[in-house]
Amino acid sequence: MSFKYPVVMPKMSMTMETGELINFHVKVGDQVKSGDVLFEVMTDKIDMEVEAPADGVIESLVVAPGAVVEIGKPVLIMLTETEVMAFDFGDDDQPVAGVEVATPAPRVEANAVAAAPIIVNTNVKAVPKARVEAANRGIDLRTVNPTGPDRTITMQDVNGAQLDPAIVKRQAANKALIAKGIEMTRAIAQASFNRQVTAHFDHASFIAAWAKVLRGRPDLAAHEHIGVALIIESKYGSALPVFRDPDQASLDDLRALVASTTDAAKNGKVPVAMLSGATTTVFDLTTYSMSSATPLLFPNQITSVTIGYDSQSSKNISLTIDLNFCDFYDGALLLDALVASL
Amino acid sequence: MLTMAEAVREAMSIAFDERPEVFLLGEDVGIYGGAFGVSGDMYHRYGAERVLDTPIAELGIVGAAVGAALSGMRPIVEIQFSDFTAQAMDQIANQAAKIHFMLGGALHVPMVLRTPQGSGTGAAAQHSQNLEPWFASVPGLKVVVPSNPADAKGLLLAAIDDPNPVIFLEHKLLYKIPGRDPVPEGATRIPLGVSKVVREGKDLTIVATGIMVNKSYEVAEKLAAEGISITLIDPRTISPLDMQPVFESVEKTGRLLVVQEGPAQAGFINEVIAQMAGSSSFGSLIAPIKRLAGMNIPIPYAPQLEKAAVPQIEDIESAAREIVKNWR
Repeated sequence: MSFKYPVVMPKMSMTMETGELINFHVKVGDQVKSGDVLFEVMTDKIDMEVEAPADGVIESLVVAPGAVVEIGKPVLIMLTETEVMAFDFGDDDQPVAGVEVATPAPRVEANAVAAAPIIVNTNVKAVPKARVEAANRGIDLRTVNPTGPDRTITMQDVNGAQLDPAIVKRQAANKALIAKGIEMTRAIAQASFNRQVTAHFDHASFIAAWAKVLRGRPDLAAHEHIGVALIIESKYGSALPVFRDPDQASLDDLRALVASTTDAAKNGKVPVAMLSGATTTVFDLTTYSMSSATPLLFPNQITSVTIGYDSQSSKNISLTIDLNFCDFYDGALLLDALVASL
Repeated sequence: MLTMAEAVREAMSIAFDERPEVFLLGEDVGIYGGAFGVSGDMYHRYGAERVLDTPIAELGIVGAAVGAALSGMRPIVEIQFSDFTAQAMDQIANQAAKIHFMLGGALHVPMVLRTPQGSGTGAAAQHSQNLEPWFASVPGLKVVVPSNPADAKGLLLAAIDDPNPVIFLEHKLLYKIPGRDPVPEGATRIPLGVSKVVREGKDLTIVATGIMVNKSYEVAEKLAAEGISITLIDPRTISPLDMQPVFESVEKTGRLLVVQEGPAQAGFINEVIAQMAGSSSFGSLIAPIKRLAGMNIPIPYAPQLEKAAVPQIEDIESAAREIVKNWR
């Protein structure tokens, strides 16, 4: 199966909004390898070669040399064997239209895109170690054909199990991303994602929206509640008051609480009860005129978000996830859902 | 090579020589040398004062032993058949087992009750039982089930040393059999509450008690030739029970077969299964735990039926082969 992947005009500087296509290094039908130069672009500051993000074939050239292209708009379309992660999670056979790639349709139901596993066995019986092994390897035991006595799954069944194709696809996509230079170690494995948003929001509505997104993914939750820590700077240092289950309060109440807590924090007086129970952290960098930063993961949290300044009308949202608990796909989905719900 | 009857006699003789307060009492233990010949010539070597023939009155025998133990003696009681302990159960379960605890530890009952048990002698239902779960379910009693002469000697010496009552259950069919390992010279004790790993293998763990250890050993040797490698564990003391070697072994083999001669229902071996099921080693199992035990019937008199009522070597062999073959 091949996937359509649009190669877009990259953003190469803070001020860049468009780029001019100088020339193509490939033509339709060319076989390219990841890293091959596809085309050259010129901006107000630099000229740059854009490389293929994966192996594939050039399907079409969207614009002609000399064209001025907005950042994020496609320059050419590639067909790839592995799915290259982008923020459009359309169905595989849905054609990728240029405009839709740049401003994808929001997808709030994050789980909806996971492919249905091939279930062969709804009443799973498995030996204890098979359950342990399946959990470790991410195998859904319902997809494993039981060959043991009384249709029980044995170790041999688990060892010979084919991974769910949806998982295989995700792993291939992850591999492609890792090949693009994301470093992972066993102890620290995190990935960060950025998106621009033009929506207007304040801290309360942002916190509520983020909590709601996380609530839609109970599989990623280590706690029964959602606690959003908001970093507030003051002359006393940083305070991290935690807003518990903010998506379940009325927005007016939450706004009042965020306002009063922010005032209290600036006076160094956050209620002690609000200083624990964080499951995620939000840091607003706009007051520092910072456009983006890689959000830091705090202990026992698997997500962290920053809000950065982009322009009068837009912000940069950055998300870091802990890859020990979720994968790139989850991270992309979470950020997609957050942006869509703002 | 000593038989188990000889090894038990040797342990008793060593204890007699070490401590003047040790003495033996029971039905026909004196002039006759014991129903199964275990005390043998001890009457002639130690005299009627230390090897006491008693009337046929089990409650009285054990009661006398409990009283003697409370007054500083170390009695060894022999009950002719373990089935007859039913007659003495009040002294065993309500007196001997409880006195130390009910008197705040002020008194001890250093008594050993030895008794033959098990089927295979054509002695029918009232002389063939395996009653170890009766005793193992009474806190305050320690329960030893030796499977070979060397262990019987060392464990009996430790049992005689013990300051409180120990029930020592000897399988009749083992009395005449020499062990695989020679019985060590001297008075070396084998501590109570330590399981023995009889042999090590990687495919299956067998936990067996008493005579079933011997049968399982034969199976393990035979199946080794077929490439099935078996760890065999003999708890030796079933109360207190040392499960650690069982956990460690199952973590390697992933398969557990337990074997006892006594009836399956409420049998001692179920304790091994229960502890495994509740342990963190449970997640290592790659096969359901398999139990081989006696049928839930009184031991029949007819020899073929008597044999069929308890696990035999062929049963252990096919169970072991199946569990390894079916669960990979």
